[in-house]
Amino acid sequence: MFHQPVDIETALRLRGERPDATVVNGCTDVSVARNHGMLHPREVIDLSRIASLKTIEHDGDNLLIGAGATFAQLGKCHLKALREAALSVAGPAIRNQGTIGGNLVTASPAGDGCVALLAMGGDVELASAARGSRWVDVRAFFLGYRKTELAGDELVTRVRVPYNPVTRWYKIGKRGAVNISLVCAAVARRTDGSFGLAYGCVGPIPLFAPKAERVLARGPLTDALIAEAADVVESEVAPIDDHRGSADYRRAMCRTLTTRLLADIAKNGDQGDADAFSAGAAA
Amino acid sequence: MTPQSTKTDAPRTPEVTIPPADHLVGKNCKRVDGREKVTGLAMYGADLFPQAADLFAKVVRSEEAHADIVKIDTSAALAVGGVLGVYTHADVGGTNIHGLIRRDHPALAEKRVRYRGDAIAVVVAESERSAEAARDRVHVEYSPLPVVATMEEALSDGAPRLYPEGNIMGDKRIRRGDVDAALAAAHCVVTDTFHTQTVDHAFLDVEAGTGIWDGHTLTLNAPGQWVHEERRLIALALGIPVEQVRIIQPVTGGAFGGREDISIQIYLGLAALKHPGKTIGLRYDRAESMRARHKRHALKIEYTLAADREGTLTAARITVHSDEGAYASTGIAVMRKAASHATGPYRVPAIEVDVYGVHTNNNPTGAMRGFGACQMAIAYEGMMDRLADALEMDRVALRKRNMIVPGDPVTTGQRIDNASVHECLDAALAKFNERPYPGNDGLPPHLRRGWGMSAICFGLGYGDGFPDCSRARVEINPDGGATVYTGGVEVGQGLLNTMMQIAGEELGLPFEKMHVVAADTELTDESGSSSATRQTYFTGNAVRIAASELREQILDVAGKWLNVHPHEVTLQQGWAFETANDANRVSMARLYDEGLARGYSFKATGLFKPRTVPEVHGTGQSPRAFITYLFGAHVSQVLVDIETGEVKVERHIAAHDVGKAINPQSVEGQIVGGVAQGLGMALMEEVVYKKGRILNAGFTDYIIPTIKDLPPVEAIIIEHDDPGGPFGAHGVGEPPLIGAVPAILSAIYDATGVAPDTLPVTPERMWRLLRMRDGVPVPV
Repeated sequence: MFHQPVDIETALRLRGERPDATVVNGCTDVSVARNHGMLHPREVIDLSRIASLKTIEHDGDNLLIGAGATFAQLGKCHLKALREAALSVAGPAIRNQGTIGGNLVTASPAGDGCVALLAMGGDVELASAARGSRWVDVRAFFLGYRKTELAGDELVTRVRVPYNPVTRWYKIGKRGAVNISLVCAAVARRTDGSFGLAYGCVGPIPLFAPKAERVLARGPLTDALIAEAADVVESEVAPIDDHRGSADYRRAMCRTLTTRLLADIAKNGDQGDADAFSAGAAA
Repeated sequence: MTPQSTKTDAPRTPEVTIPPADHLVGKNCKRVDGREKVTGLAMYGADLFPQAADLFAKVVRSEEAHADIVKIDTSAALAVGGVLGVYTHADVGGTNIHGLIRRDHPALAEKRVRYRGDAIAVVVAESERSAEAARDRVHVEYSPLPVVATMEEALSDGAPRLYPEGNIMGDKRIRRGDVDAALAAAHCVVTDTFHTQTVDHAFLDVEAGTGIWDGHTLTLNAPGQWVHEERRLIALALGIPVEQVRIIQPVTGGAFGGREDISIQIYLGLAALKHPGKTIGLRYDRAESMRARHKRHALKIEYTLAADREGTLTAARITVHSDEGAYASTGIAVMRKAASHATGPYRVPAIEVDVYGVHTNNNPTGAMRGFGACQMAIAYEGMMDRLADALEMDRVALRKRNMIVPGDPVTTGQRIDNASVHECLDAALAKFNERPYPGNDGLPPHLRRGWGMSAICFGLGYGDGFPDCSRARVEINPDGGATVYTGGVEVGQGLLNTMMQIAGEELGLPFEKMHVVAADTELTDESGSSSATRQTYFTGNAVRIAASELREQILDVAGKWLNVHPHEVTLQQGWAFETANDANRVSMARLYDEGLARGYSFKATGLFKPRTVPEVHGTGQSPRAFITYLFGAHVSQVLVDIETGEVKVERHIAAHDVGKAINPQSVEGQIVGGVAQGLGMALMEEVVYKKGRILNAGFTDYIIPTIKDLPPVEAIIIEHDDPGGPFGAHGVGEPPLIGAVPAILSAIYDATGVAPDTLPVTPERMWRLLRMRDGVPVPV
């Protein structure tokens, strides 16, 4: 059975009635899992035709992103980390399909969008037909390897992030596009001066680094403070060795990227560009 | 007898002007297959079904890397709805063995499996889905044997033996001069060990095709690289006469050596023989394609290079171990090509090379673009950079001091008349210097820029006395155009255009009047394989020979028609006319009728079969190991992030002497493609095994370059007529890849001061090298 509701109410009702159905919103993860024989969906609810999930709005303080917003849409976002994370996902074709809602629910440790959201901080709106909607802190959303706070009858409907943080993003992969992170990092300085640090591919879920963030909260953002925070980050992340890369490298890269991205914020505020090669690219 | 002429009512006055001469050789004639390919109309193997197939086959593959087969239970598979048959070795009528050089690879394993991909059974069903379900229900009981996962394991004392005679598949040697004495007397000796990786061909078009047995002929539409040899191998393995097998090559999306070994053909044939009158479809998915197919050899190259005080090379001692995987494939020829190219385009008076092929339980390794010469270029060019450092000499000067000039010998002792490597390197450097090198000024502290180079040579064709020939046929058509018939396989490289343009040039026909029929064993004669950079040279020559014989026929007939001597006739744009008076003319279409009436066939065949000379056993020397040599040089500029280890190629210049570019655009395409593939090998691509299991059998984790990784490649085509080639052409297929990898590594060395010795140079490997340089302990 394939359901393709065009409004959220129908989608929520279907979700409540069919707890075993596979929900897709872009289907870029589920298709791969199915092709690899890891998933055999018998019933699918496709959210990609629900127009109200596609909107990106702001209320002055927050950006409200519909769960169906694609990476192509987010690639035009004013928030640097979110924009660059979105543009680092796959290639144009997949970015036209894949959505932030799908990225959250897949909850891959390599979820580039998740890492950007974790650094900025914010909430995820979960809705069900029976119980209405609730907002969950994005930092409480990921529970374990590919496990989230989302209940069986719920759908992710929106994401709310602060409108004005200063952010940076960096992804290390093995090539320039269509590239799964070896490790990625996002940092954010929020308007209240607090910092968010988040990392991909260094644990079972997209990780943030509260201890290092507390170090940074002591401010001001000097080289010494950055170095201290980067030290702490190394102890907070929990990478493993796999065929893509070693734990040692990933841990070291968390330190390197933390240092580089924070130093860039300290130096350039909201003007900088941490892309390794664009700074030195040949004419 | 007077020939009956058709001339009586022919007008003698021209109605149209003859277009000016238009030389097809050297012209960017549009690819004859281009439009269909870019619009999706071209029928690749995978496009031939489901519509065209009645039944579907799937292959059961070993889940063990090394095991004895105790029992194959097909009962559960046969019980799957829609399943019509499950076939094992017992159902194969012939030898059940294939292999291009040494026949050692069972088509369907009987007693033992030697890699995790060895085929065991073929399932045939009414739908692909049923076939898949049944494939997964064939129960194979194994008695596992110890897995030989690496060359080190294979060579260790008490290692399990893959074959009764041991794990060494063979060896190849070069002996020239007194290496011991030269090393003792040398001013400077550098030594290093290189590790090249297992690489997959990663062609776009995975193995797929159809087969049907009509009771008399087994017809296979299946992509290979040498349809006539595949026909022989299939006939032997299946036990049917070779003349009852017909192979037709579907449109094919890349090969790179990956289609040289048999893939789907025998399975399709077996299924077709069991289900007469039914068209069988078989396709692999990417994972199966990677699991089943042979790979590029991973080489361990221990290299010692010596020079005198001025930097003149005096000796090289080289030991190579080559991971041959489970079966021979073309391994023995790859080993020879590695040995014969061990010192590249340099004069080295004393050489000792030992190449050992080592069996493991990894995938068989065989042909891939570069064929052993590619890995050796990484080593000899890497050594030139290391030697330059040790001698505190300029890298370019050291190379130029030692590069061969016409008449000098290469590794095999063969003296090279057309050595143009100096010119290639000069051209690449000149292009590089056209733009100011930005250097490291103004870069953030974590970035380092560098540039490097490579100079390479490549022996064209099979070489070493191996029979190597091409046949071709050219016919004039009733409309005055011509059709070229060649057994050569178009795999994307541009063979069709090359042959059409060569014949059209010879016959003075416009490209629009040219047609081609290729790679159908029923309709075309054998043209050897599309490999070894040989088709332009070999089949090109055969086509030219056939076309020039046709040209003589046409000139004879035209001379009679025009009442002039044949040597006073010009063929141009589909017209024959008196050279001194183009009003005295006749169209080719009319000449066709005239010629037939006069008893001319207007058909001609060409055979090109030059001789090479086998190596002297033990020394590896040969006065003519290869029919001709190709030269090239690259310059690459990179930016390295010394904190993350990321490498970005900023510029890449590739200069190649191609003899003559028959179609310059296709030549440039080959150069750009070779650089892209070389960039992948240098920085990204690696098949990762764990106990014989491929961990990255798919494009999620087998990383090949994207357009974002490749800078605009600056291709330089150098043309020095090769006296033995058609219109002076020799070829371009493999050298661009061979040149690309070492140039990128050389640039990394220049940028960082660290010389990479293990491929690919992934960010993590680069980072580890830099940490080691800086004395930071790095856990392995």
